[in-house]
Amino acid sequence: MELQAVLMAAGGGSRMMDLTYNTPKPLLPVGNRPLIWYPLNLLERVGFEEVIIITTKEVQKALSTDQRLKTDVKMRLDVVCIQEEADMGTADALRHIQQKIKTDIVVVSCDLITDVALHEVVDLFRAHNATLSMLMSKVHEFTETVPGQKGKKKGGEQRDFVGVDVTGKRLLFMANEADLEEGLVLRKSIMRKHPRMLIKTGLLDAHLYCLKRSVVDFLVHNKSVTSIRGELVPYLVRKQFSKSLNCQNATEDSEKNQKQQDAHNNLELLSTSKDDALLQLARDRSCWNDHRGDMSEAYHGGKLRCYVHIMEEGMCYRVNTLAAYIEANRVVPKLFEDPPIHPTAVVTDRSLVGSDSIIGPHCQILDKTSIKRSNIGTSTTIKEKVKIINSIIMNGVTIEEGCNIQGSVICNNAVIGRGADIKYCLVGSGQRMEPEAERTNEVIVGSDQLMEI
Amino acid sequence: MAGKTGKQSRPRKAVSDKDEEEQPLQAVLIADSFNRRFFPVTKDQPRALLPLANVSMIDYTLEFLTSTGVQETFVFCCWMSSKIKEHLQKSKWCRPTSPNIVHIITSDLYRSLGDVLRDVDAKTLVRSDFLLVYGDVVSNIDVSQALQEHRQRRKMEKNVSVMTMIFKESSPGHKTRCEDDDIIVAMDSKSKRILHYQKAQALKRLQFPMNIFHSGSDEFEIRFDLLDCHISICSPQVAELFTDNFDYQTKNDFVRGILVNEEILGNQIHMHVTKDGYGARVSNLLMYDTISSDMIRRWIYPITPEANFADQEGQSCTHSRHNVYREPGVSLGHGSQMEENVLIGRNTVIGANCTISNTVIGANCVIGDNVTLERAYIWNRVHIANNVKVKQSVICDCVEVKHGVVLNDQCVLAYNVVVGPDITLQEGTVLSMHHPDEEDDEDDDEFLSDDNDVGYNKDKIKQKVFNPAEVGSEGKGYRWKSSSLDDTEEDELADGIWGLVLNPDPESDSESEVSEGSHDPGSHTASPELDDVKVFQNEVHGTLQRGLDENIGCDNLVLEINSLKYAYNISLKEVMQILMRVVLEFPFHQQGAQITTAQYSSHLLPLLKKWAPVFKNYVKRAQDQMDCLTSMEEVFLELDTHWAAMVKVLMSMYQLEILEEDVIMRWFSQGVTTDKSQQLRRNQGLLKFIQWLEEAEESSEGDE
Repeated sequence: MELQAVLMAAGGGSRMMDLTYNTPKPLLPVGNRPLIWYPLNLLERVGFEEVIIITTKEVQKALSTDQRLKTDVKMRLDVVCIQEEADMGTADALRHIQQKIKTDIVVVSCDLITDVALHEVVDLFRAHNATLSMLMSKVHEFTETVPGQKGKKKGGEQRDFVGVDVTGKRLLFMANEADLEEGLVLRKSIMRKHPRMLIKTGLLDAHLYCLKRSVVDFLVHNKSVTSIRGELVPYLVRKQFSKSLNCQNATEDSEKNQKQQDAHNNLELLSTSKDDALLQLARDRSCWNDHRGDMSEAYHGGKLRCYVHIMEEGMCYRVNTLAAYIEANRVVPKLFEDPPIHPTAVVTDRSLVGSDSIIGPHCQILDKTSIKRSNIGTSTTIKEKVKIINSIIMNGVTIEEGCNIQGSVICNNAVIGRGADIKYCLVGSGQRMEPEAERTNEVIVGSDQLMEI
Repeated sequence: MAGKTGKQSRPRKAVSDKDEEEQPLQAVLIADSFNRRFFPVTKDQPRALLPLANVSMIDYTLEFLTSTGVQETFVFCCWMSSKIKEHLQKSKWCRPTSPNIVHIITSDLYRSLGDVLRDVDAKTLVRSDFLLVYGDVVSNIDVSQALQEHRQRRKMEKNVSVMTMIFKESSPGHKTRCEDDDIIVAMDSKSKRILHYQKAQALKRLQFPMNIFHSGSDEFEIRFDLLDCHISICSPQVAELFTDNFDYQTKNDFVRGILVNEEILGNQIHMHVTKDGYGARVSNLLMYDTISSDMIRRWIYPITPEANFADQEGQSCTHSRHNVYREPGVSLGHGSQMEENVLIGRNTVIGANCTISNTVIGANCVIGDNVTLERAYIWNRVHIANNVKVKQSVICDCVEVKHGVVLNDQCVLAYNVVVGPDITLQEGTVLSMHHPDEEDDEDDDEFLSDDNDVGYNKDKIKQKVFNPAEVGSEGKGYRWKSSSLDDTEEDELADGIWGLVLNPDPESDSESEVSEGSHDPGSHTASPELDDVKVFQNEVHGTLQRGLDENIGCDNLVLEINSLKYAYNISLKEVMQILMRVVLEFPFHQQGAQITTAQYSSHLLPLLKKWAPVFKNYVKRAQDQMDCLTSMEEVFLELDTHWAAMVKVLMSMYQLEILEEDVIMRWFSQGVTTDKSQQLRRNQGLLKFIQWLEEAEESSEGDE
């Protein structure tokens, strides 16, 4: 087995609390499938047979009961639970399952929906014997109106600055705008090695990483690192150019001594597999080089390398905000070959369901109802003369007759009273909208939920 | 073959130009370097006329301009303008058939590029976009594409882009990369707009202000692999801008001014990178060496030695295997070998058993037997006797090298010098018939140009005697010390005729890297705020250490400390305290913690003296001095074995006028807080010092 897959599914979805208050993020329905299905499917498509899922008790329960997941996903799921209260970061989670990790790993976040050819990332990892390779994509502009959001939120977001070399593959620099108040500082020695650096700002980190096994060992010794994206990755990127690692070869003896003395040593970062000598020999003998312009050996003798695959086209979403959630729901159904209306759904002939909508199992849709560009979840009942446009209706929702719903998200088990007119709203789970209600651009959630925010 | 290539490309371009604009393309050629980098060679001949591969440099520049489609060139000369004028009038450029009309404009008042362009504006010489080049640029770049882009940009957004700079790709470490022009450029990938332009040779970290990334683009490029060809396409606005901003002297000032004031003035600079063209400026002798060898190796094709583009009589040479070029009348003695990359001027006579490689020899030279020449640049009418060895050196016109002389790397023998016999010149020796001091005597008022008067005092020279140890027993000439400190006023770094040394020690980088590596994830995740002061202290220490190792000037140290101050958000008071502490602890870091008090103070005092300007920059008011003293006290309270040294420190800081006596007195009398500081004040030496200060004060009061 070359790579083990690890799926991080314990995040709370703190950036879209309105949605995740009652439903944990991995179980949010996207195109009538739980969000976690998408990364699982991504892994399964490329042939993984087993995946370690790090998640919470609640999600574990749901995973074991979800029939659809069971039939769809053939992989063996090794679910590891962590306590929600422990507030563990992604790196903590890796440290937690260190015992299970025998090879290099692919870490995927549960909120990733992408049609990337995963081998691109893994190939970079293999070809360059990299310590880290990751996936990024062009940031998507969200076009839909987001409930409860006044105007366009623009420019407020801090951009990530990602520096890559001229091939666009080697990751040289990474920082968030917030940390660059004093300007972007680069060491000249890096520029000397990579004299042409592209700085890209409009990129989305897909939170998909290939990591060397030794990185996990490193995490075990460095307990202070809690998050992969926040700390580990920037650290690895920086570490590529630090001398203490690169002059390793010369001082191998002393390295061994040091290792004995000091378990905390970051030299752990370099795996000492038995192929290393051979690989080195191969590189010495070959005329291949990763750069041109100077005469130094491939990789300038550096042993730690980080790579990034930047998707130029294709789809890549991280469902971590309400806007992304809505966008993903809009785009995702087009990818399926499933019939848009589930066979178990009951749709009367006198209703109108657009081909760009999907209807989940066990739904009931009554006469004179029209549904356009919308997703309707499982066991939802929609009465007569309802108009639904551009909306996401989750599971178990009841919509009484004569409602008009446009551009909204209705969460699980909500009840919309008859004749209600709801535009660009988010209706929280279990909410009851009184009949004839007229709401526009609001977030309607229970009072207990509001308290917490 | 002469001028053939130029003629071929010209008509095509002229036509395409006419399609868009009726104006013929104009160029401004600056035939003066406005610095004295080539002294003492340029004391006798202006730089533009120095021969490169046996052709004056200005001819290359004019050839480049003509072949790229320029139809009217203004040559601005200052230093030795009459010589340049004479040269040009004899050349093919002033013949009636020349496709490029050359106007020569001379004035003794030009002190910089800025002066010239202000004059261009005053005389309204240029009508539309023009090329701006120096008289020592060698290039075969076809600028028509860049010109088209430039015009396109000007059409799209009227008068926004004022200049297009032309760069050549050349990665760091490449030999054509001029270390003086070690530039780093940040640009917008799509629009090719320059966002940041900086010379980086003295920097270890490259800092880019954030505002350059707010231009709305999401892709930027930082390029350290560019060589400034010193060719720019300018709009007439450039000349106007120079007039408006009378403080702009160099192109650097201009570029910096435009980039910094982009938001106010709304002007932009773009760039064009050529991949296969050749363009470089002979800005020092190292570049001279490089460009000459590139020329002989035919990198600048179609400009090659045998092309004789300058169309001078008798210069048509033959080209044979291994890039050996011979002009007519060359005679080669028995057993002499021209190994590779050799150019020999007409009527030169070479003796027997010589070995010549990578060398250019001018016309009418006489070279004896058993001579070894490697990377030698020998100009005209030079006599070299038997058994001479020359390595990577420049030998100017009419020099005589007597037998048995060895010239090591990077020697320069200026005009008419005689060396030898049997002497070995050290690496980097510069000999000239001009005495080095005569320069200092005269040019106090004219520091930025090499146009000082030649009418020096002959008598003075006569009084000075040639030193046989420097030039040999029959030698004539004075040794020039490498100019190190005298030209600090220049914008460029102080440096010798050969320019900066290539390949700066790569090891020097590693230190900072290791220190950076030592901030392990632990240290930077735990709580960076708490550590800031500590980190800052380390950084200051590192800065000073480097300053010491690399002999960085105090101004730059202050600059670096200031930027660190902002980086770690340290207050001015803390900066002072930390600086004091770092300096006082410096000897321990250098020499180990176990040194004696005597060793400690003997190490510290020179450092204090060296860094006095740094202190003076931070310690200004009485309160600052007080803080400084308190901090000093703190340090010494921790070092109770070295109290004796404190007096010396105080004394020297007093003498260096960092601390004033009243403040010291006030500190002495007031600053007592603990028993230990009380104890410190009872130290014998300190008491004596205070007593001495009191007396000095009284006596000075008495004087008044």
